[in-house]
Amino acid sequence: MKAQRRVIRSSMGSGAGHAFIFLFLLAAAVITLFPIYMAVLNSLKSDGEMLNQVLAWPSSVTFANYADAYEKIDFLRSFVNTVVVTLIGVTGIIVFASMAGYKMSRTPGKLSRFLFSLFVLSSLIPFHSILITLVKIAKELKVQGTTYGLGFIYIGLGVALAIFLYHGFVKSIPRDLDEAAVMDGCGELRLYATIIFPLLLPITATVAILNALWMWNDFLLPLLMLTNSDYYTLLISTNMLFGEYNNDWSAILASLVLTMLPIMAVYLVLQKYILSGIAEGAIKG
Amino acid sequence: MSTIRKNKQTIILLAFVLPALLFYAVFTIAPAFGGVWYSLTNWNGLNPTYEMVGFANYAEALTNDPSFIKSVGFTFKYVIFMVILQNAIALTLAVFIESRKRSKVLFRTVFFMPNMLSLIIGGFMWVFIFTKVLPILAEQTGIQQLDQSWIGDPAYSFYAIIILSLWGGVGYQMVIYIAALQGVPASLREAAAIDGASSLQAFRYVTLPMIYPAITIGIFLTLSSSFKVFDAVFALTGGGPGRSTQVIALNIVDEAFRFNQRYGYASAKAIILFVIVLILTIIQLWVMKKREVEA
Repeated sequence: MKAQRRVIRSSMGSGAGHAFIFLFLLAAAVITLFPIYMAVLNSLKSDGEMLNQVLAWPSSVTFANYADAYEKIDFLRSFVNTVVVTLIGVTGIIVFASMAGYKMSRTPGKLSRFLFSLFVLSSLIPFHSILITLVKIAKELKVQGTTYGLGFIYIGLGVALAIFLYHGFVKSIPRDLDEAAVMDGCGELRLYATIIFPLLLPITATVAILNALWMWNDFLLPLLMLTNSDYYTLLISTNMLFGEYNNDWSAILASLVLTMLPIMAVYLVLQKYILSGIAEGAIKG
Repeated sequence: MSTIRKNKQTIILLAFVLPALLFYAVFTIAPAFGGVWYSLTNWNGLNPTYEMVGFANYAEALTNDPSFIKSVGFTFKYVIFMVILQNAIALTLAVFIESRKRSKVLFRTVFFMPNMLSLIIGGFMWVFIFTKVLPILAEQTGIQQLDQSWIGDPAYSFYAIIILSLWGGVGYQMVIYIAALQGVPASLREAAAIDGASSLQAFRYVTLPMIYPAITIGIFLTLSSSFKVFDAVFALTGGGPGRSTQVIALNIVDEAFRFNQRYGYASAKAIILFVIVLILTIIQLWVMKKREVEA
């Protein structure tokens, strides 16, 4: 009875607490959205209006800034370049890492363990520590300066973490499955491709999300690798615009919103999967 | 028979691992060893030949390069602020969000949103906020503190960099903490409430110990990511004014690709960064493991 009363009291007493929590979250949400809101709002104003009335609603909505930005960052080409880089990188990582992770997880022995620790080791190396030599190697192999070359480099940089994730996940798949398939005369490659790979789907989704986000938003590597504007990704084009037209905020803000649109669309549609992928990747990685 | 089978197994293993290993060897292992090698040379981007100079680069970086030492200090200060603030804010948001019912998903969606954007994009947006919006906001609201030289004055741009980094990074930690909180059985908290614990006590003595592993992960991730901070500083201040807000990664990149093209010297600085991150990682994992066992 006494305990019951306490529970009731504590839930009643927290009415004010709940209001405080809600207001706190609301304030934090406003701060979080404020820069995005300001960018969108002011990208719809004319130059003069933006500088005088930064906080106000646009008196008349104009999309002229967008037409301007679209051209200045060569939006379509930059977008396609970013897609190509991300697609090559993510596909390569998924195929190569799932193969390697699966086989190393299934094969006992020293060699298998050595190979696995070789991959795991790289998680200790900060990217900036290998950057300078990486640029030199890319130049020598003639993969510097192109979208597909950049995609290849991402495979080499990202494959280790993906192998780690696959390696752990494969342990949850019963071995009987492999043995039954081999007994039925199924070849190694077919076993992997038709039986194992489909079972890896949950972890493949995590690997795809983590890597796609990384490659789409990565800046320093493309900045150093892509020297020809034909191959610029969205971020590099936007950075060039920012550097070139330092005070043309109308064009800059419109280009920021344009660059933001594709990823925001993906986020709002796939957010459930993205958030669970992030949590999983962080905890296992 | 068994050796033949074993050999076959080895060949299959190598065949499956080879594609991954090839890309990994060329674009991660080789540059890592190359970095160590070049750090011992006077290799210069403009000059095709180079000589071994031993540890001269390391000696120069640690004793005769004030801007590098300053960038190390600046980075440490940044890391301390980020590890504490990012995890404290993320944990607060996660606990608060988990106590909501209907608005849970909405808040989570909003707070994670900046994480979907590159800090280059977010950084340029914040440059606009700091230079164009805040002065006017200060004028209209009368809160004069908002009108500062956020980008131009190093005393303020440090906080501008922190604000941008928190804005872009807190959501990530929050997602980890939400996942951890959801792993704490509701029955445990109810039992604590029936035993008369206030919600703060229940959090301190029931929930918090249960999510220690997640906090280890959270701190570990912020520690290593904030040591390598680059994008936020690049977008906001570019390291300036002068080199006053330069972080280690930016100092290395500037040394190699912007100012002098001293690749060998920059490689030595890159190895120093690696050693710092490594030592901190080891210490941190050791400390947290010990604490988990005690708790």
